[in-house]
Amino acid sequence: MIENPAILTDVTKCIGCEQCVVACKKVNDLPANDAPPRPGSTPDGLSADRWTTVIREPDNHFVRKQCRHCLEPACVSVCPVGAMQKTPEGPVIYDKAICLGCRYCMMACPYGVPHYEWDSPNPSVRKCILCYPSLKSGKIDKPACVASCPTQATIFGTRGEMLAEAGRRLRAEPSKYVQRIWGENQVGGTSVLYVSDISLDFLAFGDGRQLSAAPLPPLTWGTLKAVPFEFLGMGVLMGSLYWVIERRRKLMDEKAAAVAAGEDHHGE
Amino acid sequence: MENRRLFLFKGVMWILAGLAAAVAIVRFSLGLGVSTALSDSTPWGLWIGFDVMGGVALAAGGFVMAAVVHIFHRERYHAAARPAILTAFLGYGAVAVGLLFDLGLPWNIWHATIYWNVRSALFEVAWCVMLYLTVLALEVTPTILERTPFQKTYRFFVKLALPIMILGIMLSTLHQSSLGTMLLIMPFRVHPLWYSHLLPELFFVSAICLGIVMVMVESTVTSWLYRREPEMEMLAGLARLASIALACYFVMKSADLLLQGKLATVFDGTWLANLFILEMLLSTVIPMVGFAFPAVRRSFRGMWFLACCSVAGFVLDRINASGLSQVWATRRFYFPEWTEFAISLGIVAACVLVFFFIQERFPVDPHGLEAVEAERKARATALPAFAPFAQVWLGEGWRKSAKVYSFLFVLALAVGLTAAPKAEPVVDTRAVRAVGANILRIGPGPRYVYFDHKKHQDEAGGRKSCALCHHLHQKGDVGTPCVVCHENLFLPTSVFNHDAHVSALAGNDSCAKCHGKGEPIRVTPTKKCSECHDKDMMAANPVVKTFASKWAPSYKDAMHTMCIPCHEEKAKDVTLKLPNLGRCGACHNGGTESEKAYTAEFPAGTTAGARS
Repeated sequence: MIENPAILTDVTKCIGCEQCVVACKKVNDLPANDAPPRPGSTPDGLSADRWTTVIREPDNHFVRKQCRHCLEPACVSVCPVGAMQKTPEGPVIYDKAICLGCRYCMMACPYGVPHYEWDSPNPSVRKCILCYPSLKSGKIDKPACVASCPTQATIFGTRGEMLAEAGRRLRAEPSKYVQRIWGENQVGGTSVLYVSDISLDFLAFGDGRQLSAAPLPPLTWGTLKAVPFEFLGMGVLMGSLYWVIERRRKLMDEKAAAVAAGEDHHGE
Repeated sequence: MENRRLFLFKGVMWILAGLAAAVAIVRFSLGLGVSTALSDSTPWGLWIGFDVMGGVALAAGGFVMAAVVHIFHRERYHAAARPAILTAFLGYGAVAVGLLFDLGLPWNIWHATIYWNVRSALFEVAWCVMLYLTVLALEVTPTILERTPFQKTYRFFVKLALPIMILGIMLSTLHQSSLGTMLLIMPFRVHPLWYSHLLPELFFVSAICLGIVMVMVESTVTSWLYRREPEMEMLAGLARLASIALACYFVMKSADLLLQGKLATVFDGTWLANLFILEMLLSTVIPMVGFAFPAVRRSFRGMWFLACCSVAGFVLDRINASGLSQVWATRRFYFPEWTEFAISLGIVAACVLVFFFIQERFPVDPHGLEAVEAERKARATALPAFAPFAQVWLGEGWRKSAKVYSFLFVLALAVGLTAAPKAEPVVDTRAVRAVGANILRIGPGPRYVYFDHKKHQDEAGGRKSCALCHHLHQKGDVGTPCVVCHENLFLPTSVFNHDAHVSALAGNDSCAKCHGKGEPIRVTPTKKCSECHDKDMMAANPVVKTFASKWAPSYKDAMHTMCIPCHEEKAKDVTLKLPNLGRCGACHNGGTESEKAYTAEFPAGTTAGARS
């Protein structure tokens, strides 16, 4: 399996046929028909049974949404037990055997990708895993969605190759594309890249305005790495405060006793 | 005379516990989807916001009072220390129970002890809560042992108290702030008014404030319930402390907003900004100002009211930060189901009941046991009590309580089970259009058949053969999908649109065009469709046979009557060498495990003929 696998999706080439969706369902053994979406969830089409989807934007723009496989994934960093894992090759995968079901990964994903099996009493988090097991075992040489695309709107290769290809397309037809590679830098870079003739900021929460090039995990790690010092510091502080106050009380008691004794003596 | 106030209060608590027990059954048997309003856009709801985030903060009184009494030696507050620590213990127990409800796979909760991810704030919170719960159990032990014969053990625990208290304070500092750290990774979710890099510090300081006001609420409520003299001097002292702590929090929060340049956002008039103002007024500003007045500090009601106000405000803050404020980013509104409220309230009620249980039996606060003892004596001389409606003697003391409370609990359980949402059976059997070129969905569940469209087309004669199967194939219509008429998988569908015919044929005057002149208008006899539509409709062909009625057969029947005869014929054709073509597994081969088993039932040697 190649290092740093990446997918480049060219929005201008997608015809919205959803062959990728069908292929994804087949290879991941997902039910062919989707359960109706849960009330209150984002209507982008993703669900526990649908790991990639084509969002129909106005004016015949088709935008395929899937897990972005961030280079520094927030979902992996927040999982308290490490059920979400960043594989050495790159794809982000999930291990149900470890999972607690806290759903912190779903909260921390800036793209709202992980979905939950709400109707199951034994639920798991479901999302695209970039066909990791099949790629790893060499059963397929590219993810099912890419292999099934009839127009090569979505292509597969190493991240370096994909960035170079994206850059080449942007330079070749500057008037056709928005001059930006989505996923190149956002939240530290993602493995699923897009070039497009419309803005793709809608793929992230809050229109992506809150997402800078800085990866998300350091936001908590900055505080968390101070924890041992905080812990010991508080212990030392409380211990010394106790010692000081106790000593002062003792001294005051002794003084009072001495004064009382003196008074007694004086009285005699 | 029995304490009716306490009796009624406990009754309400038992009802809430019963309701929660009913919902618990639904939650664990049917899953989160049925029992909550959570969704993929709002994966955390009331249970995280109130039970976990709020619960931990509400239980902060334990470490605050431990520090005040045992480190700073403010003996005035000694009476509050034991109840506060007991509350903290029960509060953390409630957090753990609440978490079990919220976790999707609660039986894996122990995984946090063996699978470590030190980069997760939740991992740290999990460990701190586990350790602190143990520490609190050790802190509560002396209270339980004090009036028992195990005096040696009691003295051991009393000696152990100080290091344990300090350890408790250290752990509390960590996880109170780490709850704030948990939100740091979501700048895209948490509304700017709540998001700040100081969240851990803000959470810690507000936990101290909440700890103090919560001790006040607890002290005032217990003295009211047990009709006891309130400890006014202690309450006034706590009020002064609270006022100072709240001022610190207010200054921190305002400075933080100012430095981030978000002060203008507070007054921009959106509902979230107004919610923020409400939260700040309730939690901080009103109590801070109120507690500063000596007149308020002399009034029992004033202090009770302001403390409750502050508690509500801070709980609202936790709910807002961890959930409600995110509506801004997700643009999806979430309001908890009644079942979620039932669980939250039920856990609190159970805690309150356990608190009373311990308070009435062990020396939690200095005057508590004496009051309970006095009441027990009074009851011994009281007249027998009767049930309010039935005029049946319910027995003495605990017998009566046990009967009434268990009745209320079971009643609430029954009501809850009746009202609780049930899993919806799959009644939707509408046929669905093929999801891709080669898959036909064949059922309400995850069932489908593979259908190689191209192969069939080639077999039947290429481009001209479409109409053999797509038998409504019209000009400008690229193969009308089967589901347009064969709507239901198992039931036939009427394809005759009466209204459309009436309006197309010039209103009511046109009845006679189909129903026959001079006859009473009945459903039959009418004209055959083909009498008018002979040119519009395809003629019956070898694959699709009849157009005699307005009823399109069910999707399943349509497919089976269309496919099977042809398949069986081809299977018998020796030259094709496809003996398995006539078996179910020829098409039903791609779906669920049961379908794969279906295929396996007929191994490759058998022929279709042998089966039929």
